[in-house]
Amino acid sequence: MELRPAGICARSCAFLIDGIIRLAAIYAVGMATAFLGGFGMAFWIIFIFGMEWFYPVVFELRTAAATPGKRVFGLRVVMDNGLPVTAAASVTRNLLRAADFLPFGYGFALVSMLLRRDCKRLGDIAAATMVVHQPQTESRVGLDWVEPIVPAMALTPEDQAALIALAARAPRLTKERLDELAALAAVVSGDAGRSGRDVTRRVLGVANWALGRR
Amino acid sequence: MTPLQFESLYQAEWAELERLLDRVFERQRIETGAAEFDPISGARVAALYRRACEQLALARARSYPAYIVDRLERLTSDGHQVIYREHDFGVARIRSMLTTDFPRAVRQQKWYVAAAAALFLLPTVVVGLIVYWHPELILSVVSPDTAAQFEQMYSPSAESIGRVREASTDWMMFGFYIRNNIGVAFQCFAGGLFAGLGSLFFLFYNGAYGGAIAGYLTERGMSSTFYSFVATHAAFELTAIVLSGAAGLRIGHALLAPGRRTRREALVEATRDSAVILYGVAAMLLVAAGIEAFWSSARWLAPAVKYSAAAACWIAVLAYLTLQGRRAA
Repeated sequence: MELRPAGICARSCAFLIDGIIRLAAIYAVGMATAFLGGFGMAFWIIFIFGMEWFYPVVFELRTAAATPGKRVFGLRVVMDNGLPVTAAASVTRNLLRAADFLPFGYGFALVSMLLRRDCKRLGDIAAATMVVHQPQTESRVGLDWVEPIVPAMALTPEDQAALIALAARAPRLTKERLDELAALAAVVSGDAGRSGRDVTRRVLGVANWALGRR
Repeated sequence: MTPLQFESLYQAEWAELERLLDRVFERQRIETGAAEFDPISGARVAALYRRACEQLALARARSYPAYIVDRLERLTSDGHQVIYREHDFGVARIRSMLTTDFPRAVRQQKWYVAAAAALFLLPTVVVGLIVYWHPELILSVVSPDTAAQFEQMYSPSAESIGRVREASTDWMMFGFYIRNNIGVAFQCFAGGLFAGLGSLFFLFYNGAYGGAIAGYLTERGMSSTFYSFVATHAAFELTAIVLSGAAGLRIGHALLAPGRRTRREALVEATRDSAVILYGVAAMLLVAAGIEAFWSSARWLAPAVKYSAAAACWIAVLAYLTLQGRRAA
């Protein structure tokens, strides 16, 4: 299983969005409870308390394992080993925000995230959690149809993968660069040492063959 | 097998698993057929997940194109999150937490609790006595305004005890106590991350502050209102602060002296063990806030009644922490 840790920028942006949502919710509840006197006041203060400490916990324990802000950026909270985040870990990582927040403006969190390869803040280290990017599905690469050509030599799986990767990148390369790269692989179509538009087409033909077109 | 054959062979399974996972994650789908309202079959998700794992391994081993590997990676990662999620946040869990887990966790860390209690009580008593003998020293702890405020809050003529303004209602104070006190307890815990120094500081500071106020008010002859106010909820509140401080000290100790594990392993284990204590601390502080807002401040209760209730609460709390959950398996 591959985990790609989320960087400081994505996490800060997600935090900002969450902050706006929290403020809006606190404001809205404040307006709604303003008419209820002392009881409404109590409810409001308890609501603020919940928002301060438990807003992330509630969302992290749902299936998506992410606050709305994190969802916007395709992030999710998981344990170090990739397992879903546990209740205890979620609670502790969020309570330890109090330490991350120091000395001001999430100072220790920022330093810790910048220093570590896995970009954890102190709360993440202690709770053994991690904020990761959800794997995104790449849109299916449609290789441009080129007349398939049987390779001139036996291709190892690695060779085949490299050829297919080259063919997938073809539309994003300039013609000249594509010719250069194809010339490096020209041996597969029996064109070793040559280059040019025709060689490129034949190399891409072999790539099509490797992908399974006949 | 070529990548295209592989893809066309398993395409249907992947699409089905994708559809099921999208529904679990409540992701928006454009097409909504009648089938979308069928209940999700867990067994089916598990079966498809297992097959997707095998296919991912194959696709990687055979170096299939990135889009196939990526798709399988996303499927298995999502499936993994769904299948291995813990699902025990129910009433039974809360019950076992209160009846056994919490008191046991406290007893397991009795030395940290003892240390935290000492760190909290020592400054309370020492500073309290100093301020009692030299009341002018209160001004080095709080500003003159605050001192005057405290005097007014606990003066025998105050309408409800422990309040700055008469206008604030019981309910409002209930909310305030919850936010303030539980916040202090959480900070006390989080401070442990700085080699325990933060917890040390918060325990010492809160102890000294409370001691100073108590010493000052006693000297001014307000002991009956003050002590009858604090005695009852202190059973829950002070105990909870000490417990969260103990959890913080535990973390700090794990960082300073990890023993035979790496510092990080020790820290993670200490933090995990602390979670149960923090649940209990939050629950105790909720009770404390209720008592403080509705019972302690009540003018119409005679001090004697409050003192007896306080004694009962102290005995109950200490008995709960020392005896509860000893026998159950």
